[in-house]
Amino acid sequence: MKKFRLLGVSLFVFVLVALAGCSSESGGASNSGANDSNAPQELTYATTSDVVGLSPIDTNDSVSSAVIEQVYETLFVRDSKTMEIKPHLAESYENPDDRTWVIKLKEDVKFHDGTPFNAEAVKYTFEQFMDEERAAPRASLLEPIESIEVQDEYTVVIKTTEPYGPLLAALSHTNASIVSPEADKSGELNKNPVGTGPFVFEEWVQGDHVSLKKNEDYWNGAPDLENVTMKVVPEYSTAVSMLQTGEVQFIDAIPTEQLPRLESIKNVEIQQKEGTPVYYLGFNMNKEPFNDINFRKAVSYAIDREAYVEQLKGLGVKNNSIIGPKVFGYDESASEEGYSYDPEKAKQLIEEHGFEGQEITLLAANRESYMKMAEIVQANLTEAGFNVKIETMEWGTFLDTTAEGNFEMTFLGWSNSTADGSELLYPNLHSDNIGSSNRMGYDNPEFDKLVNESRVTVDQEVRKQKLNEANIMAVNDAVWVPMHHGVVTAAFDQSVKGLELDPTGQWSLYNVSRE
Amino acid sequence: MVGLIANRFLQLVLLLFGISFLVFMSMHFAPGDPATIIGGPTATESDLAAIRAELGLNDPVLLQYFDYIRGVVQGDLGYSFQNNQSVSEAIATRFPQTLNLAIASMVVAILIGVPAGIISAIKQNSWFDVSSTTIALAGISIPNFWLGAMLILVFSVQLQWLPVGGLNAPFWSIEGMKQLILPAITLGTASAAMIARMSRSAMLEVIRADYIRTAKAKGVKRNAVVWIHALRNAMIPVITVIGLNFGFLLGGTIITEQVFAINGVGRLMIDAIAARDFPVVQGTVLLVATLFVVVNLLVDIIYAFIDPRISYD
Repeated sequence: MKKFRLLGVSLFVFVLVALAGCSSESGGASNSGANDSNAPQELTYATTSDVVGLSPIDTNDSVSSAVIEQVYETLFVRDSKTMEIKPHLAESYENPDDRTWVIKLKEDVKFHDGTPFNAEAVKYTFEQFMDEERAAPRASLLEPIESIEVQDEYTVVIKTTEPYGPLLAALSHTNASIVSPEADKSGELNKNPVGTGPFVFEEWVQGDHVSLKKNEDYWNGAPDLENVTMKVVPEYSTAVSMLQTGEVQFIDAIPTEQLPRLESIKNVEIQQKEGTPVYYLGFNMNKEPFNDINFRKAVSYAIDREAYVEQLKGLGVKNNSIIGPKVFGYDESASEEGYSYDPEKAKQLIEEHGFEGQEITLLAANRESYMKMAEIVQANLTEAGFNVKIETMEWGTFLDTTAEGNFEMTFLGWSNSTADGSELLYPNLHSDNIGSSNRMGYDNPEFDKLVNESRVTVDQEVRKQKLNEANIMAVNDAVWVPMHHGVVTAAFDQSVKGLELDPTGQWSLYNVSRE
Repeated sequence: MVGLIANRFLQLVLLLFGISFLVFMSMHFAPGDPATIIGGPTATESDLAAIRAELGLNDPVLLQYFDYIRGVVQGDLGYSFQNNQSVSEAIATRFPQTLNLAIASMVVAILIGVPAGIISAIKQNSWFDVSSTTIALAGISIPNFWLGAMLILVFSVQLQWLPVGGLNAPFWSIEGMKQLILPAITLGTASAAMIARMSRSAMLEVIRADYIRTAKAKGVKRNAVVWIHALRNAMIPVITVIGLNFGFLLGGTIITEQVFAINGVGRLMIDAIAARDFPVVQGTVLLVATLFVVVNLLVDIIYAFIDPRISYD
């Protein structure tokens, strides 16, 4: 009898000792770097999913881009403050005519493998990018390019089939980064990336982490950080715990529901910035009554977007414009257009056109943010007199279903990674892209014409004006109800200095250090 | 015994054919196109067509299946749609973590479950019995993701005894063991509860048997009766439960791997399903199915050693 009790007690003691034994050596788990002035120049970033590949030519996802941004560079970049495009690996450019771009390159830049960066490398990269067999996921970015010529060692001449206004924006897209031709020819660029950027690739343990180290020979001066690790942590709340204990120092894209917890952690700082993404409710323009402007107006009037944005706790901005305030082509006048919350007008339209009790199925991908939108919109529309159901779907199924047009109204977002309005309106709303990225099937020849003009003009002022006109037209057509414009976010340990988010949500670790 | 193993092996091969066919077909006919996921929402129709051609998705499905099987028979599980990595390589880098986690969870489950069940049986209806039965019920009912999150909050964030996540240090090192403790408890709790319940009922049955009464009557000490005479017989059904549980643990690490950021096969599988990465889904499902069958075969063999009455001839 006694022995059994003894067994139970000893089991309990065993567990306690096992746990306590660990505590004596767990210094590593605590936040060691926070107040240490000689902090190691190391940074661990947690990402919820793994990198798909490390070749800018062959990938198209935001996690891969986050690594690619540190290892490679583009010819042009968009200044995160002014949103103007400026040369980066390029030195300058000129347009002898509106289909020709003569780009002078920086000299004395080398890829990490020692290959010189020159006009040949640029030509090689873009030709690979456009090669049909290679099937680059973002090949459409450079589609209007007709030829790339090497004029001399540091000058490339790009000719387009027709004038192409967004070319500089396309060339500043992460996926248009310049790769080392030598490294790419080995066929392993996706696993062993070689660029000209401030960090050199070290290793990628698939599903676990990517590690980078400082590029001592970086043309613009070596960065402060010695080592960077990008660790895969699929659960956001686990990543928050790791930030709290100091196992990671940096996370981004904070979901609204994690914000209060992050704000309560002492060693953590939060950065929020108005960004380029836009999230919207879209109507299937091939179904009745969703293709009826009066129906869409009634729905727009019925949705209280002020209240919706409020519950985002600062992680969203309300604006009726489809092109967001941080995107090229935005003009303040667009925010006055469209149909703001007005339940009276909604009721009136519903009565006039007999939409009372109309059945609506809201399709939402099963991601927290979209499901929240669906719930709030459902409540608003029910109040207005519609009969609303929600259908949720796993992401892969959702993409397929919406591409096939099997929905009535749905929620989606667009990250606008070139921050250029043409790259928002053309893929999403131009009739060229019905059946693929124009998921709503919006077909308006007048609108198409304006978007075309914004693309074939190289005069940026004219482009801006055309985009604004197209934008206002789509807003008043109520083909999308912009739910909110994104706020890009990051949370980091207070020892991390110099981190600046780009409005597209991307970031560079070049100027980051730890104190 | 050799006959048994050969027989089971044959069954395994047939089973794997069946499973691979089902998985292959269900992945291909389920909604969701790998090309739209690789291309993302920004891809145009021509981008998608190029991706589909590259992946060989335009061939008839049966032809794709036979191509796949031809590869598998030659030991080639194919290449990931997403990053072109060899599937065998992807599994090989992740399997050790999953195996570590499953074994550690099993150890936790046995260390807690067997003694708790036996003591409950011997002291039927005592406070220990009542509380351990209640805890066992709770253990089966608590969802892993909740338990994992709570353990992290208490032991990693508040007490700072153990790391939050990751499993990359060697498991025999102190760091490795520390990384294993919380995930193993999270994953092992439900099994511990099942083993405790099974041990209790098996033990209750055995200690009422005639030969135990005889042993007691001839004056064998109570401990010797329990630990020598009763335990061995009571263990037979318990071993079945342990074996089955181990099979489940190997295939059921998904949530625990997710919560603790462990780079294992479960996560590989769930990511592949979300990305419609057919070759990786098939490879991981085949692995889990094989393991499940092999573990069951091992259980049958262990039976024969424990209980000489069992013969497979």
